Amino acid sequence: MNENSPTTLEQRSRDLFDESVGNVNMRVRSRLNQARHAALEAAVRPRARFFDMPYAAPAAGVCAAALLAVVVWVGVPHGEKPMIASESQTSFEDLDIVAAAEESSGDTLEMLQDDADFYAWAAEKNANPDGNDVG
Amino acid sequence: MQCFATLPDAQLTWDVPIRTPGESVLDQTRELEKFLADIERRAFRMAQIALRNEDDALDVVQDAMLKLVRNYAAKPAAEWRPLFYRILENGIRDLQRRRSVRGRLMAWMPGPKEDPDGDAQDPMDSVADDSPDAPQLLMQAQAMEQLEKSLRALPARQREAFMLRNFEGMDVAETAAAMGCSQGSVKTHYSRAVHTLREDLGEVWS
Repeated sequence: MNENSPTTLEQRSRDLFDESVGNVNMRVRSRLNQARHAALEAAVRPRARFFDMPYAAPAAGVCAAALLAVVVWVGVPHGEKPMIASESQTSFEDLDIVAAAEESSGDTLEMLQDDADFYAWAAEKNANPDGNDVG
Repeated sequence: MQCFATLPDAQLTWDVPIRTPGESVLDQTRELEKFLADIERRAFRMAQIALRNEDDALDVVQDAMLKLVRNYAAKPAAEWRPLFYRILENGIRDLQRRRSVRGRLMAWMPGPKEDPDGDAQDPMDSVADDSPDAPQLLMQAQAMEQLEKSLRALPARQREAFMLRNFEGMDVAETAAAMGCSQGSVKTHYSRAVHTLREDLGEVWS
């Protein structure tokens, strides 16, 4: 029989392949095991609904923003002039004030602590207007 | 009310266990698990031969498992194997196509080029093996390497036909279902693959 006949080739290649399957390393075996369990869990679990999908949240956000823009645009009464830069600037100024207040909020707290004695005295005075000053 | 001609008829009817839908789903899951456990390493090796990358092969097999379970779990168990290999081969082909596009793009980009073999040299490869069967193992490893090289050199359809028919022991009809072609095409692809492999491996394996 010819050494290189298809039967020999097929048999030898099959044996080699089977042996290589048996020599698959532990890391790969573990990964395959995990993959199998993940797939089977997917079979038991119902398919993800739209809002469970990873891209659904950003898409919903974009839709909500677009809807809000439309509502604001349509909500502006006809004939009313749109907000111009000088008017909108006041909003930014307001924001600056708020930001400044937040930045200095630490100082404000310190001031309140300094005047704690004064407020205690004022409260006592209020409760007892005829009382004599102590100290 | 149900009437029975004879007492044994009644007993036979009542002895049949009533299966709840939950039990049948559990049975099917067990059957699927067994099928996947039996096939996963062989599928991984086939993907690895085609892709020559362990992680890519794992990804393709995982994807095939997921798609089979999600889309075809309700099919008869006898159909799972060709379906699984069809999904696997599609995944391999998609990945090879993406690699080819990426390779063309990378050729235009400046900077270091990827290793054409797709994997770096492992320092452990150069460590001597002291086990008594080392020469035998080395010969087998070399033969397998040669076989893989020759299989990768085959056209994709011939490689698929050879691996499904020879490694997986599928018959022509099953292979045709897995490859999505006629039985005649399977025979042609297989015969050409064997002819080419004999020419390639003849000197090494004789």
